[in-house]
Amino acid sequence: MLEVSDIRFNYAGPVLKGLTFAVRDGELLALLGPNGAGKSTLVKLIVGILRPASGKLLLDDRDLRALSRREAARLIGYVAQESVVMFPLTALEYVLQGRFAQGRLIGFESDEDLREARRVMELTETAEFASRRVQELSGGERQRVMLARALVAQPRLLVLDEPVANLDIAHQVKMLELVKQLTDGGEMSAIVVTHELNLAAEFASSVLLMKAGEITAHGLPRDVMTECHLRDVFNAPLIVDTNPASGAPRVTIARS
Amino acid sequence: MMMSETTMRPTRAGIAVRERLTARRLAVMLTVLLLTVVVLLIVAVTIGSESVKLVTILKIMVAEVSGRAVDVSPENHLIIARIRLPRALMAMVVGAGLAVAGAAYQALLKNPLADPAILGVSSGGALGAIAAMIFAGSLPISRPIAAFIGAMITTAFVYALGQSRQGDSSIRLILAGVITNALLSSIVIFLVTTAAGARQRSVISWLIGDMGGETALLPLVALFVLMGIAVIYINARSLNLLMVSELDAFALGVEVNRVKLTVYIAASLITGATVAVSGAIGFVGLIIPHAMRLVGGSDNRLIIPASALAGGAFLLLADTIARTVIAPLELPIGVITALVGAPVFIYLLWRTS
Repeated sequence: MLEVSDIRFNYAGPVLKGLTFAVRDGELLALLGPNGAGKSTLVKLIVGILRPASGKLLLDDRDLRALSRREAARLIGYVAQESVVMFPLTALEYVLQGRFAQGRLIGFESDEDLREARRVMELTETAEFASRRVQELSGGERQRVMLARALVAQPRLLVLDEPVANLDIAHQVKMLELVKQLTDGGEMSAIVVTHELNLAAEFASSVLLMKAGEITAHGLPRDVMTECHLRDVFNAPLIVDTNPASGAPRVTIARS
Repeated sequence: MMMSETTMRPTRAGIAVRERLTARRLAVMLTVLLLTVVVLLIVAVTIGSESVKLVTILKIMVAEVSGRAVDVSPENHLIIARIRLPRALMAMVVGAGLAVAGAAYQALLKNPLADPAILGVSSGGALGAIAAMIFAGSLPISRPIAAFIGAMITTAFVYALGQSRQGDSSIRLILAGVITNALLSSIVIFLVTTAAGARQRSVISWLIGDMGGETALLPLVALFVLMGIAVIYINARSLNLLMVSELDAFALGVEVNRVKLTVYIAASLITGATVAVSGAIGFVGLIIPHAMRLVGGSDNRLIIPASALAGGAFLLLADTIARTVIAPLELPIGVITALVGAPVFIYLLWRTS
């Protein structure tokens, strides 16, 4: 459903050096790599925040660059780093903002908007905060509300830039389980940028490993997350064995 | 498209809690504010050095609206229709404009402490107006236009100065505004001080906020202010998203750059128009939107019109106080707004620390 063809991007030098890959329907793609590899840049190019120097981005065979802001927003949901909210805003209002591209520019939210908002809030277990102010929520609760806002427009592609960074392990697992559930249905795909290698190995259906603006490996977690690849990309003494419960690759450090 | 379900969830204590803005809530708040404005308008027009019967006042006001002739003495007609009413309307228009401009800057800068006076935009407008007074004194229409240009240039300057590598840093923007304000205010005062005698008095009285001075410009100012408010209101929903995060707003479908430019221009138009007739009045843009948010939440679809009405009411009240408390002398209206506004501002700062 997403086709990335020879994407290049420069910022005081080449950042992305011609990336080509595809994401299929229902895939949960983990984007891994060291800091500075270009993961966030790639994600911003997909969402449309940045424009590539060259190359093509197709979503369901439509050129992303040709879409209007509203059309693009209906197709792609984006969860990024948290920003501080300086005004009194309830969680429900925050989630309803995700329906902006669905509605008319002037006017109030429709019944459908409200129904969808309640639905995704039930899904993300945030319904109980509907009337609480976003600033009053804990980091984990806020992250779930952000996910709800990205989901409320029923996007085809969900893009998450380090969504679990501020969560404890239980919430990290819950969030990724939820994303996995949503992609397993086949209607939505997800790209997750994360530093949590083991969570990626557990939940991702495919992994894209990047280093210095290039793709090192792309495929199943067990094919991509090998010691050879990981040591090369991360320049760290990593060893890979197998998670005894799931059979997925498990990454640990080998300090000598 | 009315809601089919309740949007007020009761808490355990049985008190309804606000979840989001509904059409009903909007209607209720605006009705209350409108009634307040009407009452204050009647009070403002009633109070004055000459006492005029309320019945007469109401007759004249109705006649002004309906255009029919009215059976009152020419003196009373003059006092009410040519002096008090235009002045009251001016106060309402300026108050509405400043409050909405404040709300707009707060949304654009994602900071509840922004307002056109703090950002120096009012001073830029004042400088434009003074330039017009000096160079095009015979053309009163040049003042709001020159003030608008001054406000726009100042906005662009402060905005550019306030950029950091991470894009918008609202603290840096406010700092840039404070510094620019200081610079421009001193230039304004310099020009005023060097103005010739009688000219100086009228310029000073304008500068510190004189609602009764330029009523001939009322229709033009009202037009600019209403246009500005309308443009900002059309973008209210986009501003709701921008207020949280520009990046998120972009990803959610807002044409961020277009909305920002449009709203900045509209806010400058309002600020310029109001400064041109009433000098640089501070605090209205700061405290009115904040008070509205405390009562009704941050949804700009409420805050914009509510601030317009509440700002109008506030300045109407302030002007009435300003011209009666030490009658026959008049206090500058900026004194009243500062006396109310500064403590509120201090309280805000304290609360948000």
